Amino acid sequence: MNSVTDRIAEDFASAARLLPAIGHAATRRRSAIKTLEARGLPSSRDENWRYANLRSLERVRFLPAPAAEALPELPAALPGIARYVFIDGRFAPAASTPLSSGVPHAADAAADAAVIGLLSQRSAAGVAGVTEASLTETANAGTDERFALLNEAFATDGLVIDVPGAGAAQLEVLYVASAAAQSGASYPRLEVRLAPGARLQLIERQLSGGGQASFVTSAAEVQLARGARLEHYRLQDLNERSLLFDTLSAQVAEEAAYDLHAINTGAQSARSTLAVRLRGERAELSLAVAALGDRQQVQDAYAVVEHAAPNARTRQSFRGIAAARARVAFNGKIIVAPGAHGTDSSQSLRGLLAGPEAEIDVRPQLEIYTDDVRCSHGATAGKLDENMLFYLLSRGLERDTAQRLLKWAFLEDVIAQITLRPLRRQIEERLAAQLRDEALRELL
Amino acid sequence: MSSMLSIRDLSVTVAGKPILNGLNLEVGAGEVHAIMGPNGSGKSTLAHVLAGRPGYTITSGTVHYLGRDLLTLPPEERARQGLFLGFQYPVEIPGVNNVYLLKAAVNAVRTQQGLPEVDAFDFLTLVRGKMQLMHIEDSFLSRGVNEGFSGGEKKRNEILQMLVLEPRLAILDETDSGLDIDALKVVAAGVNSQRAPDRSCVLVTHYQRLLEYVVPDFVHVLVRGRIARSGDRTLALELERRGYDFIAGEAA
Repeated sequence: MNSVTDRIAEDFASAARLLPAIGHAATRRRSAIKTLEARGLPSSRDENWRYANLRSLERVRFLPAPAAEALPELPAALPGIARYVFIDGRFAPAASTPLSSGVPHAADAAADAAVIGLLSQRSAAGVAGVTEASLTETANAGTDERFALLNEAFATDGLVIDVPGAGAAQLEVLYVASAAAQSGASYPRLEVRLAPGARLQLIERQLSGGGQASFVTSAAEVQLARGARLEHYRLQDLNERSLLFDTLSAQVAEEAAYDLHAINTGAQSARSTLAVRLRGERAELSLAVAALGDRQQVQDAYAVVEHAAPNARTRQSFRGIAAARARVAFNGKIIVAPGAHGTDSSQSLRGLLAGPEAEIDVRPQLEIYTDDVRCSHGATAGKLDENMLFYLLSRGLERDTAQRLLKWAFLEDVIAQITLRPLRRQIEERLAAQLRDEALRELL
Repeated sequence: MSSMLSIRDLSVTVAGKPILNGLNLEVGAGEVHAIMGPNGSGKSTLAHVLAGRPGYTITSGTVHYLGRDLLTLPPEERARQGLFLGFQYPVEIPGVNNVYLLKAAVNAVRTQQGLPEVDAFDFLTLVRGKMQLMHIEDSFLSRGVNEGFSGGEKKRNEILQMLVLEPRLAILDETDSGLDIDALKVVAAGVNSQRAPDRSCVLVTHYQRLLEYVVPDFVHVLVRGRIARSGDRTLALELERRGYDFIAGEAA
């Protein structure tokens, strides 16, 4: 990997002057590069990185892609929800429909509670405190979070969402990748902070604006203060030639609740690292991930949840389907720190093998350093249930239809947890399309 | 009486172990046959083999259904030709709702017959009517197939599916097991409502209790994989009185 980090440093040196000052000061970019140089990116020898397509890094260019000229076609907006669009990591105001241009708007209670900012508009001085705090964390980033440093070094812009106390907001952010990897990379960035008691429903999409093979390195940081509630839907639907390295880190304070849904259907190869720290007592995390791999896709996710305080709760579920020659992996790790007594965690991880050359790997892992905890886990990987299949066949359904129906049913566990109705419908339509069955639409 | 089902010399093994040993059975159109027998006699195997469940090896014999060679047809094709299996242990399929399955099943048959798909509204009206007959609540429609159903609800759901699909030949595998007397009467009423000159039913059962409510034309006793004795409903009563041993003794 040395050659890769060298190239990253070279690209950075050649571009550093040109990178915009985006709130996080130039020192922060340099620090990220230094850490990367010193410690390197993960390699396929690292236990958690066996599936990610790291070899592709040898071919990509790390400089940010130039600003896109054309506006790509975007999925239909959900009614009444403000939308912020970034193309190749740069804000695209023409494609965005902020209900109130980011300024609180009295007429719309749903969006106003949030204060929306762009990293590019944030003065370095005004956010010094935040910058410093973030800096310390990323400098200590473990192997699994190193790609966040790559984003930090090159990010061209990003969305910052602040929801002050007792506010409630609904927002959508679209990160569109349109540039080909040869001409530059895309660095979507998201920072979300909820004040004590604040609420937010956030939809975050990664998608392609066209058929180019893009290289995307995204980073998201989430901070929930005491009693805050975040419903976060992350939909990854990049085109089948693109590469994604995604890192999310979240801090959840006392009695705050983080409801995180990820639906991963796109990309040629996608790796997502989700690191959540339950740092306050009675903090709650519900993590539901669905992944669909077809053709030669790789869907790789690693979720590490640290219970750092007593009586916190984690509910983790994963449903993955690997068809054709796809590889789908989910590694769910729960760490119970010393003193985190009363921890209550459960993991239900299930993989479905739907092709003779497909590969599924689901792994629950527990590291427990305290007594008096309740940690349950279940993991299965296998083919479609023969009894269910025969039952449907015995009712006259075509074998193909029956198999698709069962795949659908398999994912439904996770999809049913999406409480935002119009979004759930969009997702179900997307999944029905991916499972290639018109008949499934009738289920919706 | 024209032939609905004709089984000749049927022998079946499961994992190399013989289960059916030269079984013969003729079921005419409009007839109700009860197949009784002790545990392990091969009753359920017979039902599964007729429906086309994988995992069984046919080592000899033929089965004709409406004149066609049944054993070469895949299970979905048998269903579309009007053969229905009521499961002893109906399968739970969370995520697939009942009404979807019912509609998909009906449309599979209709497509086969060159008919257009059912109208969604008419279909719901029809299903609701049959649900009433089976004492099934309205909320059932939107629930997952058999999801969280009690044993009795699952069996009533099997009969509901039968009523909606209107099969030519229904094979009910221990549909009476685990039912209380009220549920048994409901199930029996459902089965009786299906009796018609062009339709037949094979009831696989361990006890003769169901036969008090669904009176069979013929009763067969299966012992060690073949029919050891056939008779009318009085045979079932005799079995009730004397147990299976007396026939097992004769067959040995």
